[in-house]
Amino acid sequence: MQIKNSKKQYLLLVILILSMFLVYPSQWYPFDMRLTLTSWFGAENYRPLPQSTMTSNSESELACPEDPSGWRASQIIDGVNIEESLPCLADNPYGVAAFVLGTNNVSKETLQRSGLSSDAIVKGRDLDGDGDPDEIHIRLEVAELNGSSPISKRPVTTYDIAPGVQPGIWVFAPKLIGMAVENFETQEARYSLKLPSPAIRVEQGDVVKITLENTHYMPHTLHLHGADHGFIDSNGEGNDGVPLTSELPILPGQSRTYDLTPRKAGTMFYHCHVQPHVHVQMGLQGLFIIEENRPNNNLQTMNLGAGKVRAPSQSLKESYDSEYDLHYLDLDKELGVRIQENNDPRLITQSMHRDYDITDANVDYFTLNGRSFPYTFRESLIVSREGEKARLRVVNGGSKGIALHTHGHKFTVIERDGVKLPKLSQTPQDVLWMATSQRYDIDLSFTNDGTKTYGPGIWLYHDHQNKGTTTDGVAPGGNISAIVDKAYLDESGWPMTRGVDYAQYFSADYYRKKIPVWESYIPAFYSEPGKDNILLIRILLLTLFFGSFLAILRSIFTQRNKGRS
Amino acid sequence: MINQKLWGIFLSLFFIHPSYGLQHSMSDSHSMSGHHSMNGDNGSIVMNSNHNNLPLGCERISGEKNITVSAGQRYAKEIPGTIFGMSEHEWKVDPCTRVTITFINEDDVRHQWMVHGLPKYLYPAGMFHIESMAGKSTTGTFIVPSENRNYLVHCDMAQHMEMGMRGQLVVGEGNGDLWAVTGITDPFYRASYLPDNLIYLSLVVLFLGYSLTSWLVRMRQKR
Repeated sequence: MQIKNSKKQYLLLVILILSMFLVYPSQWYPFDMRLTLTSWFGAENYRPLPQSTMTSNSESELACPEDPSGWRASQIIDGVNIEESLPCLADNPYGVAAFVLGTNNVSKETLQRSGLSSDAIVKGRDLDGDGDPDEIHIRLEVAELNGSSPISKRPVTTYDIAPGVQPGIWVFAPKLIGMAVENFETQEARYSLKLPSPAIRVEQGDVVKITLENTHYMPHTLHLHGADHGFIDSNGEGNDGVPLTSELPILPGQSRTYDLTPRKAGTMFYHCHVQPHVHVQMGLQGLFIIEENRPNNNLQTMNLGAGKVRAPSQSLKESYDSEYDLHYLDLDKELGVRIQENNDPRLITQSMHRDYDITDANVDYFTLNGRSFPYTFRESLIVSREGEKARLRVVNGGSKGIALHTHGHKFTVIERDGVKLPKLSQTPQDVLWMATSQRYDIDLSFTNDGTKTYGPGIWLYHDHQNKGTTTDGVAPGGNISAIVDKAYLDESGWPMTRGVDYAQYFSADYYRKKIPVWESYIPAFYSEPGKDNILLIRILLLTLFFGSFLAILRSIFTQRNKGRS
Repeated sequence: MINQKLWGIFLSLFFIHPSYGLQHSMSDSHSMSGHHSMNGDNGSIVMNSNHNNLPLGCERISGEKNITVSAGQRYAKEIPGTIFGMSEHEWKVDPCTRVTITFINEDDVRHQWMVHGLPKYLYPAGMFHIESMAGKSTTGTFIVPSENRNYLVHCDMAQHMEMGMRGQLVVGEGNGDLWAVTGITDPFYRASYLPDNLIYLSLVVLFLGYSLTSWLVRMRQKR
């Protein structure tokens, strides 16, 4: 009986081995064997490769949303002249007016429309009698964007740096009134809560107070990098923002006032100095600009999210037609995600300040004024007009160097770290290396002379280090933006480009790496190929046969062993 | 009785929206500017206060209730895993009560006491909102509707609700607790507080269970 059984099993084994040979894909035969077979039978018949499959039809956002509130137009609010801002998304002009006059001097209606608290920017006396206020009291809060929630796995108070990209971010924000979100239906952060922290502008010689109201759940401070400030403030307390050498950090729910009366003008920087390797990288940093003293110099004390200055200073207007604040910042997604994984501040602190090792870290997102391409095309285009001249104030707030490159223009660096460069070294260039936290003031002229510009057009400007032009490795993304002649902007403020359709870049799937990059060009060539189902079935059959082969082998062995014992 | 309850639960599986009890801050589209009644004092704000307008289903104001709420990081110290807090996180009132809230902010930063989901014909965007500036006390009044319901109360500054300022206003019997009310109900998503070496620990225990059992079996067979 037993012998009969095992005979049957041996037969089965042979059948299985034969079937495995049959289903074994011929392209996997050893090379020599394939050659020999070819010499006998010639090449195998043509089996068509899988057809292309269209991955997309995925939803795209509108490239350039409408501006129903008329924020883009030039306008006068409470007597403040606000320049037009041509790109799609413009700053709230009521906010600009409140920043120029002070939230204590602006009309009630404008203040309400600005969303600012009445003590956000308090402007006091004119100390030098030159027609502008010199006592400036600024109040900052700290806000978390794309943070976690005990009731949802989705981020709350959301801010997209690119379609569907929501890294955890911390920012300084002007002191606001009301909710952190746009409205009750959405988790979208309100307009004033954005990356980067606002660019702050004061005048040389102003008596400046900055109160940091710590609305966040971690300790923070304010450090005025490069700006002329005393180590001790007017109350005899530490004023440098360094928890070790200067003062105790500001705990949640507490506040602290820093002061300075800067003697020198220039483009400076401010940032949190608590665990700075993490806090600065999370976004707690902004431009701090000290303008030269001029009569009637009513400054736009804050420029939310940096970008075009819509109410520029007197000193700027003397020699330039427009002014742009450009804030570059790279982000590490492995750091940002740490505020999204937990809701317990103790666990978040452990994760960010002990588990996260910045020496093993790498950055993934590259932002200009808080956004990556294609969103940069909505708000950080530099608009040129032939013969005009723009002053750019640039900071690299990221953890890596930046090779800032302009297409179609050679620019001139006039100041570095807030200090004027000698005339001799002011030569035109088209790549500028910027170290971490370094500031450059750039003269960008639109004179068509073959050097300053090669003429009107849509000219990119971007970090020429290759990864800077990607969003987590997907291009085009990163900090790509453009210098666009006004003639190349359509009604809505979108550049009249001549190449590829933008729609695919306005889809979250593109930056989730789900859409083949050239699919829209010619789908048959570059779409994703379908799967080789026949080969797949052969492989699955092979493994199935192999499985039963093993099972029979085992049963033969156990029977043998039993027979012996 | 138990049967009835079970039926209730069974039916609710079909009829109640899955996000029930998880309210963020959702109701009508709304912007901070415009039609809300505001009154400011030291920058503090009361929005949509209502002293006399009766909600539908209320024949008269059933009673007066004065509630004092203090807010600040001080109230978070007792409750692990929070940073901001209020003196209480749950308030119970009868239907149609006129509620007067005195909201005392003990911190040096802004805080809010905001109710959601009120009837929109009385309260624009369904909201009643008090915002107190640093160290200030602000008082506001509104009238609660006639239905039994739990309303979300929170501070809508970034992360203040998530870090502890999340409460509920229970009108009448209420209609079921909201999740993650600080110190009252559990978070819907609870972080893990297990040791890192859990996997090794479980392997050791698994081995222990296996060897103990096989030892016992062998002992028994021997007997």
